[in-house]
Amino acid sequence: MSDPVLHVKNLSGGYDPVQIFQEIDLILHQGESAGIFGPNGHGKTTFLKTLSGLIDPWSGTIRFHGDLMNREGERGSRKWRNFNYDAVTRRRMDPKKVAWAGLIHVQQGNLMFPELTVDETLSISSEAARGRDGWTPEQVRDLFPRVAERRGHKIRFLSGGERQMVSVAAGLLSAPRLLILDEPTLGLSPKIRQELCDAILKVRKTGMPIILIDQDVGFLEQIIDTLYLFDHGRISGRMTREEMPDHDGLMALLFGEHH
Amino acid sequence: MDAATLFSVLQGGLVLGALYALMATGLSLVWTTLGIFNFAHGAFIALGAYIAWQFSSADAWNLPLLPAILLTSAVMFAVGALMHFLLVKPFERRADVVLISVITTLAASAILENGLLLIWGPRSKQIPPLGEGEVVLGQISLSTSEVILLVLVLAILLGIGLFLRYARPGRIMRAVSQNREAAELLGLNVPLYFAIAFGLSAVTAGLAGVFVGTIRFMNPAMGSEPLMKALIVVIFGGVARFSSPIYAAFIIGLLEAFSIYVVGLYWAPAVLFFTMIVVLLIKPEGLFGKHQRTL
Ligand SMILES: Nc1ncnc2c1ncn2[C@@H]1O[C@H](COP(=O)(O)OP(=O)(O)OP(=O)(O)O)[C@@H](O)[C@H]1O
Ligand SMILES: [Mg+2]
Repeated sequence: MSDPVLHVKNLSGGYDPVQIFQEIDLILHQGESAGIFGPNGHGKTTFLKTLSGLIDPWSGTIRFHGDLMNREGERGSRKWRNFNYDAVTRRRMDPKKVAWAGLIHVQQGNLMFPELTVDETLSISSEAARGRDGWTPEQVRDLFPRVAERRGHKIRFLSGGERQMVSVAAGLLSAPRLLILDEPTLGLSPKIRQELCDAILKVRKTGMPIILIDQDVGFLEQIIDTLYLFDHGRISGRMTREEMPDHDGLMALLFGEHH
Repeated sequence: MDAATLFSVLQGGLVLGALYALMATGLSLVWTTLGIFNFAHGAFIALGAYIAWQFSSADAWNLPLLPAILLTSAVMFAVGALMHFLLVKPFERRADVVLISVITTLAASAILENGLLLIWGPRSKQIPPLGEGEVVLGQISLSTSEVILLVLVLAILLGIGLFLRYARPGRIMRAVSQNREAAELLGLNVPLYFAIAFGLSAVTAGLAGVFVGTIRFMNPAMGSEPLMKALIVVIFGGVARFSSPIYAAFIIGLLEAFSIYVVGLYWAPAVLFFTMIVVLLIKPEGLFGKHQRTL
């Protein structure tokens, strides 16, 4: 059998010196998608930032298509608070290598490049793919006609929804083999939210593996095969789409019957 | 003020403005991309002048001026990139990187200036002028070297502006300066573009030094006063766009030239600072500034 797309083993991390999540195991097989559901502020975004190498993992391993993405082993202790460990230790993970491998993370509430136009942003994204096969600009324009309409505008002048669409479009252009979407629909008006959900569903239907964080159980159900419950920095449960309860059921699982 | 005086003051102001524009652009390039203030920028100015002297002077390697300037630019680019790896990169993940880089760049500035003194000695030097004679336009005559200087500086600034706007690496530099994390997540080589920005900034500083060296005597501390002026320009103009320090530089240059003529050398700095304070009182983010700092 081929290697899983993503295999996270025993991963811990946080913002030094505060640990945010611990001992996370997650496996995503070829052709599958996973969702993460959990309360606000429990470390989902921090976990994703660690997956993509924005912050160094503290311990554990991240394998992407069988390749190790981080340096193995525990990070050294940082006992002397006044010592600049960054000057003498190498980073344990390099975000650009993760992106080159095809693990593309679309950040939560990403402002992208406020002073660049939509077109400039999208062309930078395709250049960043360095010749790996990705979505073509035409495909992305068809997927997000609303973005295509505003190609000459600076990102600063776009609405939140349009900006979110540009982020996803940029992700698609940089040749993902796994797309990580962190609350893409947060705070959008119903109409534009529906457009974005439809687009993400179309991307999913092409067979693209996706890891999706979202608070909307209905939307999660359309995209994912497996749902991980995320609670206080740990995975507290794992279920298939068929086993998923409704929103209230999930909240009960996370907080007990009377939340 | 008769026409001839007016033109000579105007010309002096434009030359000052061009030099300030070159210095301030380099300073704001590093400020907008890396978010740090490079106090070694003044030392870069002096270093560029001395390297160009070494290449071009009849007492040294005696190259023609153009190849000397090109070689100086190449050396300055390497120096800038190296300085980024020594002075900023080791601290970039710390929350207090802004403060630390003040210290490291100040230290580098002291080391560079004293290094220049050690290597080239205290004797004043001068780089051969960019041109000879005068350009005569009707009743007014302008010094050829100053006209060449103006044209060269404008060409360099235009070149950098076009590079940032249209060239692929320039566009990526702007992206990196606006959102570092997003750039990293797309797989862009952020440290490389930081080094390029620092190198480019050092090139502009070095070129400014060369031009100063062609019109004034050089000494190892020759960059500190221009650095001060460049800082005023950056604060005065704001850094909302690549072009805002350039406009500000010419305003300051002309203001300086005219106030020297009107109130004398002694009071001219007071006029400058007074103007700056008034501008900042009314528009704290600078004359052309917006509140965010991006390229
Ligand atoms: N840059 C940072 N430095 C230090 N602590 C941080 C930083 N960013 C977030 N935190 C803290 O980490 C914890 C987890 O935040 P995180 O954003 O990962 O949660 P989340 O599960 O994604 O929440 P949400 O659903 O609101 O997006 C929070 O307590 C937050 O205060
Ligand atoms: Mg989050």
